[in-house]
Amino acid sequence: MKNRKLLWHSRFAPWLFLLPTIIGLLVFRLIPIVWAFVLSFTQWSLLGSPNFVGLSNFIEAFNTEAFLQTFSNTIEFSLIYVVGSIIFGLFLAVLINIKIKSIAFFRAVIYLPVVTSAVAVGIVWNWILGPNIGLVHSILANLNITAPYWLGDPKLALTTVASVQVWKMAGYSMILFLSGLQGISAETLEAAIVDGASKVQRFFRITLPMLSPTVFFVLTVSIIDSFKNFELIYAMTKGGPQNSTNTLVYDVYLNAFVYYRVGYASAVAFVLLVFVGVLTLLNFYIKRHWAQPLE
Amino acid sequence: MSNKNFDKVNPLRFVLIIIAALIAIFPFLWMVQNSFNTEQNIFSKSVFKIPDLLFKSNMFENYQLVIGKYNFGRYTLNSVFVCGLASIGQVIICTLGGFVFARMSFKGSKVVFTLLLITLMVPVQVTIIPEYYIMMKLNWLDTFLPLIVPSFLAGAFGTFMLKEYFEQIPDALLDAGIIDGANAWKMYLHIFLPQCSAPAATLFIIAFMNNWNDLLRPMLYLTKESLYTVTLGLTQFQSQYSAKWNLLLTGSVLSILPLVIVFIFAQKYIIEGSISSGIKG
Repeated sequence: MKNRKLLWHSRFAPWLFLLPTIIGLLVFRLIPIVWAFVLSFTQWSLLGSPNFVGLSNFIEAFNTEAFLQTFSNTIEFSLIYVVGSIIFGLFLAVLINIKIKSIAFFRAVIYLPVVTSAVAVGIVWNWILGPNIGLVHSILANLNITAPYWLGDPKLALTTVASVQVWKMAGYSMILFLSGLQGISAETLEAAIVDGASKVQRFFRITLPMLSPTVFFVLTVSIIDSFKNFELIYAMTKGGPQNSTNTLVYDVYLNAFVYYRVGYASAVAFVLLVFVGVLTLLNFYIKRHWAQPLE
Repeated sequence: MSNKNFDKVNPLRFVLIIIAALIAIFPFLWMVQNSFNTEQNIFSKSVFKIPDLLFKSNMFENYQLVIGKYNFGRYTLNSVFVCGLASIGQVIICTLGGFVFARMSFKGSKVVFTLLLITLMVPVQVTIIPEYYIMMKLNWLDTFLPLIVPSFLAGAFGTFMLKEYFEQIPDALLDAGIIDGANAWKMYLHIFLPQCSAPAATLFIIAFMNNWNDLLRPMLYLTKESLYTVTLGLTQFQSQYSAKWNLLLTGSVLSILPLVIVFIFAQKYIIEGSISSGIKG
């Protein structure tokens, strides 16, 4: 709906209303972003004054095996998360898109993990997946299968943590897809039925193309969310074993507030910022060129 | 439940829905069930550990221990206080911002709006180091201020959510206000804000949940045990008593219980609010 925005107010009113927002934008967003960029060229421990060291933080980072691993962990985590939440979200939405009375109940139950804290989720999954007394190990042991160390094996830990995150957030993308599905007109689908299109044809030829704006919305949101993994990693693995679940967001925390290498942490933060920026631009580009909503 | 819509549902589909719901909820059931176990019982080899405290006189022993001795009662109160104030801040700041962007025209509106949109995508870890330094210099460490004050200043996704609601309010209301000679403040407070009580309440709840679940900021800003939020308290308990699984799971139940209760009563608003804005608990 387009509103008239006539000038019914004084020229200062909007600025007065926005004053706290603008202060917040400056003090907690814009200035810190620039500041972090400047700090990335320094060596600093939060005390005293920072020493300018040029590009050496970046040079160090990209020459360290552990950082390169952290970088690829970040990509892998995001990939598992984004692909997982789109596939499971879409599957759940299609599954639950029926008109029965109890559906609101099931929708709420599937959404429940989204609102619970990542810390509690991490703890209970640690318990379920844990060795010896964990549920999965006990069940497999009864079947005489030795379960892998989900969180103790460096080859498996990252996939395990990312999968738990997918489990936690699938309900959210489900809800987004569901609202997209409900926007598709029944007439179009009925016309396709009259034309003799099969269920599978209807899904891939009509539903999915008409859903493409939603798919890109979910893509955008889940890319942003894929970096919100600090809490879960802290509760489940603390970046281990052997750095295998360390991601850029966790690495910033580790370097800045555990090792007090603030300059280096700022460099990691800046790499993170560039990474998010590139992904966001890529996403906008794809959206502009491939995802024109059907008229 | 024998309405006629129900009959149309493919039974296989219904079974799949039930399985999906079970996968979503079973870790929580598992958590609750094990919170009624004694320490010996929880380390037993059986797969399904029948809770040995259930229906005994000391049934809530774990809960009493965790709330009292391990201070989760205090943590919960801290969380309620911090999250309550921070969420009020979010509602104020986001209704103001949403109102301005929806209903006022001014030079620079687009620039500020775009900057807000872009900076929302920046992960908190990018800005946390300078933020920490600011809080340190303000002498706000070990107070609740770093967890509350930013919520009164930096409006997040709620601004966009409320902007859309304010845009849907008919122009007639604006005209009526102009005829009455209302200034901008009166227009916001007496005419537009009362129309937005539902989305404002939704925003309050979602902001409350986000703050409740936040870990990084409480971890950095609160070192005094008596100030811990419940999420922080839970992680500290986890690192100190990692083997006391029954108590750890009890703590987990306590940390999510308030949110689950709120969710049960407000799930419609929470879910719909999340769709319109891209925010969630």
